[in-house]
Amino acid sequence: MIEFSNVTKYYDKDVVLKDVTFSIEKGELAYITGPSGAGKTTLLKLIYCAEVPDKGQLVVAGSDVNKIKQKEIPYLRRKVGIVFQDFRLLFNKTVYENVALALRIHYMPSKEIKDDVTAVLKEVQLSHKANIYPQHLSGGEQQRVVIARAMVSKPTVLLADEPTGNLDADTSKTIINLFREINARGTTVLIATHNHDLFHGTGRRVFFLKDNQIEKETIG
Amino acid sequence: MKVFNYSFQTVFKSLWLEKWINLLTILSISIGLSLVTTFIMMSLNMESVLQRWAKNFGMVVYLTETISQEEEDSLKNQLAEDIDIIEVKYISKDTALEELRKTLGANTLIFEGLNENPLPSSFELKLKSDLLSPEIIINKAAKIEKMSGVEEVQYGEKWLSSLYTISKTMKTGSIVIGGAVFIAITFITYSTIKIFFYRRKEEIETLKLLGATRSFIRMPFLLEGLIIGLLGGIISSLAIFSIYSFTSLKVIEFLPSVKLFMTSIPFEIYIAVPLAGTLVSVIGSIIAVGKIRY
Repeated sequence: MIEFSNVTKYYDKDVVLKDVTFSIEKGELAYITGPSGAGKTTLLKLIYCAEVPDKGQLVVAGSDVNKIKQKEIPYLRRKVGIVFQDFRLLFNKTVYENVALALRIHYMPSKEIKDDVTAVLKEVQLSHKANIYPQHLSGGEQQRVVIARAMVSKPTVLLADEPTGNLDADTSKTIINLFREINARGTTVLIATHNHDLFHGTGRRVFFLKDNQIEKETIG
Repeated sequence: MKVFNYSFQTVFKSLWLEKWINLLTILSISIGLSLVTTFIMMSLNMESVLQRWAKNFGMVVYLTETISQEEEDSLKNQLAEDIDIIEVKYISKDTALEELRKTLGANTLIFEGLNENPLPSSFELKLKSDLLSPEIIINKAAKIEKMSGVEEVQYGEKWLSSLYTISKTMKTGSIVIGGAVFIAITFITYSTIKIFFYRRKEEIETLKLLGATRSFIRMPFLLEGLIIGLLGGIISSLAIFSIYSFTSLKVIEFLPSVKLFMTSIPFEIYIAVPLAGTLVSVIGSIIAVGKIRY
């Protein structure tokens, strides 16, 4: 589903990722970890085409990212749900509208949007907050809105960048359980985190990034 | 159609939320368009004066004293054969004197003591109205003046020249002002849409990451520009209609003869003004949104 082959990325002259080679299988849930500045976010950005590899080859959901045209990027991104570190929620829209936005871009009819958004909000246990603006939600609730928005369009891949970064232990557990449920339905999930507790004892593959390279691959 | 649903919702929300800046833009556009239309109407009225004058435009070809009957007939034939001349009327010396007497009425005393008729015989020519440019008329007059038996050719050259210059200046003015106003409207819409674009930058970035296409992102801005331009144009059309009708009535009240050549606003103007406003605003919006890169 995601295949890195000797991918190198520079920011100006500084190398951010060097000769990164690994792959995530379809339906897998895996983790990328490493200290701050190791290149976790850049690695995710490459997957959703916010950055382009300078060297090597990257294939995401069957598309060669190196060769992808600008106009094809939105269609690839629709296959990739993203849970952003900084949430990227729109504070002038309600929880419902924030989630619905991911479907409106598909020009989906309002009735279908309503059904899907209602269902996904129920899943993340936020049905009662549908008409609330995000600024009135807690960090954990905001994160659940982001997850709902990422999963509502039923992507084939779900990326999460430090999804529990600002959350307490209990809320983090709830969020991770949500990712497991999403993965259990067949969605490939890749979580970038510096928190080892998240993958410890999960039995999932973990890729360690150090000095801008994949240092090792272990089972969590 | 689905593409418009979200766009219209976004646009109507924006039109309401940003009502003051939108209103200001719409008014600026309507003032600009009204200015252009005013110039166009002035130009059309000037054209109408010219056309009306053109219908009665004529040349008087004065003949020499010594012209023979044969030469006179030959000259008449030559003038009648000219495709630019639609009417040739012969005025004999006697007819000329008779007409002058009628014109002077009670002042015919000045003819007493005259032993012979001092007036020359002449041909009055009517020309095709589409020939009314000074250059063509001057050339035509010069050509006739060279013909045998012709003493002098007279026509309202100063009037013709002045009217033609004013008409030409009006037309050029309309084009220059029109161009300047259209550039100004483009810039006004550009600035307004650019402000909206920056205000929604965060939302646009999120939309891009969610997989929104360029047309999905652009559409609300282009629609907003279109609505602003269209409203500006409609307001301008209404304002032009009201002001022109009122002004015409007042002018005719003081100068009833103006009614003879005063033109009413062509219906096309009411359609063209909103269309022009819309088109120019959409161009401004397209430039403001620019190229969207992922």
